[in-house]
Amino acid sequence: MSEVLARQHRALTPEETEELLRDRLGDHVQRGMVEYGVFTLWIAPDGWLDAARRCHDERLLAYDMFDSLFGVDAREDGFDIVAILYSTSTGNRIALRTRCAGGREAPTCPSITEVYRGAEWMERETYDMFGIDFPGHPSLEPRILTVENFEGWPLRKDFRLASRVAKPWPGVKEPAELDEDGNPIQRVPGLGDAPGPYDLDKAMAEQAKAVNAPPAPAVEEPDGDAGEQETTETPAGGEPDRGGPEAGATTADATTADDAADDDGEDPAARAKARAEARRKKQAEARAAKAKERAEKAKQAREAADDGGSATSEDGEEDA
Amino acid sequence: MGLMDQVELPKPVKYVFNWGRKYSLWCYNFGLACCAIEFIAASTSRHDFIRHGVIPFAHGPRQADLLVVSGTLTDKMAPAVKRLYEEMPEPKYVISFGSCANCGGPYWDSYSVTKGVDQVIPVDVYVPGCPPRPEALLDGIIALQHRIQNESLKDRIAGRRLDPVTLGADAPLALEGGQ
Repeated sequence: MSEVLARQHRALTPEETEELLRDRLGDHVQRGMVEYGVFTLWIAPDGWLDAARRCHDERLLAYDMFDSLFGVDAREDGFDIVAILYSTSTGNRIALRTRCAGGREAPTCPSITEVYRGAEWMERETYDMFGIDFPGHPSLEPRILTVENFEGWPLRKDFRLASRVAKPWPGVKEPAELDEDGNPIQRVPGLGDAPGPYDLDKAMAEQAKAVNAPPAPAVEEPDGDAGEQETTETPAGGEPDRGGPEAGATTADATTADDAADDDGEDPAARAKARAEARRKKQAEARAAKAKERAEKAKQAREAADDGGSATSEDGEEDA
Repeated sequence: MGLMDQVELPKPVKYVFNWGRKYSLWCYNFGLACCAIEFIAASTSRHDFIRHGVIPFAHGPRQADLLVVSGTLTDKMAPAVKRLYEEMPEPKYVISFGSCANCGGPYWDSYSVTKGVDQVIPVDVYVPGCPPRPEALLDGIIALQHRIQNESLKDRIAGRRLDPVTLGADAPLALEGGQ
């Protein structure tokens, strides 16, 4: 490293870096992009070790410092590995990123410990958290972060928290709404949507809701919901005129221009309601499917029992 | 302990003996997270628990009477706490300081956090809070001293412990008996 040519004033730009590595590695370099000031270069999994070696050895790049390495859960596409390298002579930073071979079942990624010794513990951590195998690593076992006999890969998105299965959340406030299968429902909370247990919290939440009502109305109170359901029945009864502005909110499509002011205020509320209803419907469907499954199982069990019963009765007849 | 675990001391002797014990608690701090900072604040000049006879300079667990577990206990760390507790000589006391040490706290459903230090070692006083203020630790220490004053050392050594105290949840302490 004494003959390092690169210096800060002639540090390569991201485009030049990509060009250089594309020249050395060919098709293994997939694409480069700069996001939030970080240059990310996507590498094919086969060229992962070569890319790290090039970044380290190429004198114009001189990425001599290994910064960090971690995994990313890419859902159905498997897992990504990101390695961040730094050059102490040019001040450049690069994030190499690759998609592990093997999908979700058996993700593997070549180890870069022979280039960067510091990657050893990072790869052990990544193995602990995601279950990604690193061929070429000295030893991934025993587990470094979790207890040795830990089962499962806790940072995978499909990892189930055992405490939640055994016992519901003991706190005052449920941190996330759960659907039928126990997975958290992702939603954007409104201001004042989740007040604490004290009166002051509730008062502050009310205040926040009142202040922010026109642009972002919070999820309605149960009382308001019930009231609106009553009003939906009124237009169905054939008296739309008397329903007037109240009915305009619930039948959002049929609203006329004369009560546009009310529409502006309550249209998002109607949308929120529709969303809530869709969620309820989905949950009901899931529940129905589960019930059906259970019924089928029970039926099978009953049939099996019947077979056994008939067999014994036949035995009885023979005895008689 | 020789005689102590076989003979119930006469009341006046027990009183003086327990009075001496409760104001000389050599304390070992098992600091695991931010609660340890509050513990340190409690030991410094503003709150100063040395005026209550708690001495935070135990050279190691073998010289300590009181173990304060302050912070998040993980499953990986749990055997270390257990071992440290077992190294301490009887009679030994444990204060669980902060929500994480009490029950896992905000990390209750984490994959790695033990749901309270009482899963591993017996606890005498629970101090709730996230983190608790140094005054809460002083309160916990006074509650513990109250227990020490009123307990029978014979029972303690025989393993008959009083029920643990939870600050704030139990009835206010009746501060009789030599306070």
